[in-house]
Amino acid sequence: MQRSITSALWFCAPFAVLLVLWAILVPYFDVSPRLLPQPGAVVRAGIEGIQDGTLIQHIGASLLRVAVGTVLALVVAIPLGIAMGVSPVFSSFLTPPLRFFSVLAGIAWIPIATLWFGYGFGAITFVIFNAVFFIVTYNTLLGVSTIPLHVRNAAASLGAGRWAMLTEVLLPGALPHIVTGIRTGLGFAWRGLIAAEMIATNVGLGYMLFVARDFYKTEVIVLGMIVIGVLWLLLDRLLLAPIERATIERWGMVQRA
Amino acid sequence: MARWPSIGAIAPFVLLIAVWWIVTELQIFPRVFLPGPVDVVRSFGSLVHTGILPEYLQDSMVRLAVGAFWGIAIGIPLGMLVGLSSRAHTALWPPLLFFQAIGDIAWLPILVIWFGYGLTTMTVVIVYTVIFPVILNTVLGVRSIPITMYRAAQSLGASRTRILWEVVLPGALPSIMTGLRNGLGYGWRALIATEIIVGTSGIGFLMFDARRAGSVVEILLGMIILGILWYIVDGWILAPIERATGQRWGLVTR
Repeated sequence: MQRSITSALWFCAPFAVLLVLWAILVPYFDVSPRLLPQPGAVVRAGIEGIQDGTLIQHIGASLLRVAVGTVLALVVAIPLGIAMGVSPVFSSFLTPPLRFFSVLAGIAWIPIATLWFGYGFGAITFVIFNAVFFIVTYNTLLGVSTIPLHVRNAAASLGAGRWAMLTEVLLPGALPHIVTGIRTGLGFAWRGLIAAEMIATNVGLGYMLFVARDFYKTEVIVLGMIVIGVLWLLLDRLLLAPIERATIERWGMVQRA
Repeated sequence: MARWPSIGAIAPFVLLIAVWWIVTELQIFPRVFLPGPVDVVRSFGSLVHTGILPEYLQDSMVRLAVGAFWGIAIGIPLGMLVGLSSRAHTALWPPLLFFQAIGDIAWLPILVIWFGYGLTTMTVVIVYTVIFPVILNTVLGVRSIPITMYRAAQSLGASRTRILWEVVLPGALPSIMTGLRNGLGYGWRALIATEIIVGTSGIGFLMFDARRAGSVVEILLGMIILGILWYIVDGWILAPIERATGQRWGLVTR
């Protein structure tokens, strides 16, 4: 307990230094608030945003889109990836196109998404779906294809039915790759979300940033950036890292550095 | 060793294009929403003919090259510093993680306020994107050099500079190459995003402009070009280099 408190303190220390520097240098150099806001202004903007509910609205909208898009993508991608991965012919055939589409992570889909779905929730969720879907399918495929054939044969010769094969051999075996895919995909999704929200909607964190730029409200911009950073760190530490620990380390196929 | 894409890699795309062609011929989706391969090829031809495509392509590539260059030039030394010095690590690691979490796109609004819509803004975004994978992988590479190597070099009388050049740098090189490859991938995507949001030329801008004109053909063309370009650069240039450095310095088993 003591150790995690001290390590948390050490983690925060550089930020405390940065904060102090920020609070001192900005007034000292008399930087125009149109260029860089004072820490106090950012805090005030944050409190206002919470009080009149707009900040919560933006955060909620962004998180909702990410959640919906990601869940949808996972529900389709993982079964598809497993089904494809089981056959070596299929997996080597489908790997190049999947890799090709993985490159077009999220952002490149924005123009066509807005054309097909108009502006708003649909287009952004589509972008997020794509960002997650291709990379997770590819990784699932990869994961299944790296399961040693003799493991699958052993299970089959012990009389494993299709369901047992799926839940006890294929899924656990592919899980490290799947989780890596989810982590990468979520990263793509988060960045694609912000970019998409800048062009294609009227609520959300990306939108909040973009509009503030029009009015030179740098304190809102900085607030938004900090919120985005904190949200991603929270997602990573509270969601992804525990999942990785529970699956990858548990099945012992990958050593954690 | 097969370093060039073989028939096996091309065949799936041929099938994909065939399926695409059939879907558009059957008019399952309105032609306006999903044009066929022939339309895309025709558009490609006319864009090349009018000189727009080569110019946009060049603009995009130049921006990526400049951004990547600075990202690498700053990232590798910084990564080595953080990897070698535990004080630098304690001081810089948390901010590195945090700023990486903010992401490049979120910097666009404030960069536009500071530098306007231009090459500086775009270069900064690309540098920002490239730098994090490079730094993180450099740190990983530096830290994964076995301590026995250092001791061996020291016991043979190597100075600090020689250790840096002949132990640390080669030892970290495989990881650095991985970081470079990842960084370029992220940089490429960041470039497209920046061109879509604040660009005035380039492939990303091509797609966004086509969207405003409602022309799906050019959007598809842009996406295909993006995919092919990256596939070529990554598959034929970056991956072989990564494999070669890993094999040569033998510290990474692939």
